Amino acid sequence: MSATAAGRWQYAWDVLVVLVDRDLKMLYKRSSIGPLWALAAPLMQLLVLTVLFRGVIRLDVPNYAPYVFIGLLAWNWFSSSLLQSTSLITSSRALIRQPGFPLPLLPFVTVAVRLFHLAIALPLLLILLLMQGIRPSLVWCLVPLLLVVQFIFITALSYPLAALNVRVRDTQHVVGVGLQLLMFLTPIFYDPASLPPAVQAWYGLNPMVPIIDAWRDVLLKSRAPDLQSLTVVGLLGIGLLWAGRSIFVRESHHFVEEL
Amino acid sequence: MSASRIVVERLSKRYSRASRVPARRWRDLLMRPRQLPSPRPPALDDVTFTVRAGEMFGVIGANGAGKSTLLRLLGGIGRPTSGRVEVVGRIGALLDLGGGFLGDLTGRENATLAGVVAGLTRAEFETRLPAIVDFAELQDFIDAPLHTYSSGMAMRLAFAVAVHTDPGVLLVDEFLSVGDLAFQAKCLQRIRLLQDGGCAIVFVSHSMDQIREMCDRALWLRHGAVAACDAADRVAAAFEEEMRAETIRRTRDVPPKALPAGGVLRMHENRFGSLEMEISDVTLRPGNQIRPGDALEVEIEFHAKERIEDPVFVVTICRDDGTICFDANTQASGAVVPALGDNGSIRLLISRLDLGRGNYFVDVGIYERTWTHAYDYHLWSYPLTVEGSSAQKGLMVAPCRWELGTTALAASIAKHAQVR
Repeated sequence: MSATAAGRWQYAWDVLVVLVDRDLKMLYKRSSIGPLWALAAPLMQLLVLTVLFRGVIRLDVPNYAPYVFIGLLAWNWFSSSLLQSTSLITSSRALIRQPGFPLPLLPFVTVAVRLFHLAIALPLLLILLLMQGIRPSLVWCLVPLLLVVQFIFITALSYPLAALNVRVRDTQHVVGVGLQLLMFLTPIFYDPASLPPAVQAWYGLNPMVPIIDAWRDVLLKSRAPDLQSLTVVGLLGIGLLWAGRSIFVRESHHFVEEL
Repeated sequence: MSASRIVVERLSKRYSRASRVPARRWRDLLMRPRQLPSPRPPALDDVTFTVRAGEMFGVIGANGAGKSTLLRLLGGIGRPTSGRVEVVGRIGALLDLGGGFLGDLTGRENATLAGVVAGLTRAEFETRLPAIVDFAELQDFIDAPLHTYSSGMAMRLAFAVAVHTDPGVLLVDEFLSVGDLAFQAKCLQRIRLLQDGGCAIVFVSHSMDQIREMCDRALWLRHGAVAACDAADRVAAAFEEEMRAETIRRTRDVPPKALPAGGVLRMHENRFGSLEMEISDVTLRPGNQIRPGDALEVEIEFHAKERIEDPVFVVTICRDDGTICFDANTQASGAVVPALGDNGSIRLLISRLDLGRGNYFVDVGIYERTWTHAYDYHLWSYPLTVEGSSAQKGLMVAPCRWELGTTALAASIAKHAQVR
């Protein structure tokens, strides 16, 4: 361990790599198709939603399959990361007892593991887009930017949730219920343009709305996303990340006593 | 790099009551508890000491005296309520060994995880891996999943990783249950090597013999405060002396009591203790005459005059010359003894007692949960005779058989054995 800044970054990176590797291996070690399971969940959701809203109730959304799939991928990354984060500290007894271990890295591990699942599903998304006659365009270069903004935003929320669940174990249940509710308030399988204008004004308060909008702008409509609202979400994310991390670090001195 | 050291100055730690309640609910956040919780006694109270580079520093004390709290604060886990902890050097810890191991991952994957978590970069770990595998003697198993390991193998791997992180400061908590005796000796040797290399070591133990043998100086914690901090021999002796004195001081004078099997229990002679809890009868099954390798059951019937919080039951088997041959207590075995407040009984089941021929005594006792004194202790009162042929001279008669290398001969021996 070197005391230099470069050494510390190197170490933090290695911790991240090793723990992400551990979590992925633990998820799929004993399953036969392994990481392909990451495809199963969004694929099944996609199937149900397309059958329901194409065949039963007709929703007038163009390119419905990729439209829903983009929404599902972005949303699942968000919601599964947050769910996982709530039990992050309570399930990491050994790491909490390790002298000198950089606990604030843990939320990054969770969000990165879930990002990996998103990455596995990307080829399928590409196929869906191509099937609808959508061709790759230069705007797709903005995808990494979207990933960074959403990554920051998810991590920012993960910190306080992980810390809070140590003191109040009900947190994980509340978060589970809250996420289900929020899923319906997020335009995943419908187009918010079809909602009454009075409702649409409130939509801006859900930060997942501009994020998912940006994904669709870039991939589906091959146009630049609304950079203004994306900047707001990005700055909000950075602010929350700083605040959430401070809460987490302050609380981390009590983790061992509480477990 | 400056020399490793640990400086602890006027260190105090007080846990707030609320934060010790494990799973608080939202309800409790909304509704304030009616009465304010009473302040708890401090877990650590004004503790000061220094450990120099190359020194092995022992920490002793009854359970709950603050030893674990001290180790945690030295490791930077949690914050002191007041006072100062200064640790110079990379901290290595032999606490909770193998706690993060995952059965589904291979030994190599688990070792990588443990090494990086303990502070090595991946590159640093890779260069040390051969030495780690070599030390743990797991060359043939390193790529097998951990759930195929015995617990001893897993501990060896955990220990090997921990001592190969080049710690400048080492925190050790009762590690000597690692693997077999040969490996324990190797561990000790490795720790000595680290010590010679300038590592400052803090060693928590319940064994005064270990403290005497390994440590230069020792700290005795009593209810979080320093009871003594001096040369290890002196501190260990003082600790043992206090435990004895406390039991004798509390030993009550009651009339002698005749035992059903003969013999008389006399206070201060073959019976000691404060008698808040009494041993009313001790039964050996199948009896007090057994053969080597037989099972033995020791049933202790007790009577508690008041409610006693998790008492510790002890059974010791001594040969008539005083050699301790067997010693077990509920605390070390991890047996859960709840608060007891009436008549009851507890049984110790020894599946096989491989003692050699001879005369022994089964001594039984009930101790206060932090070992401050005995409630009741009976010694030299329950004789046990192990019968056997006079050809068996050893202290123990373990199950064994002979095997000859020559196949023809071995077959003939097997045939003879069958005939018999």
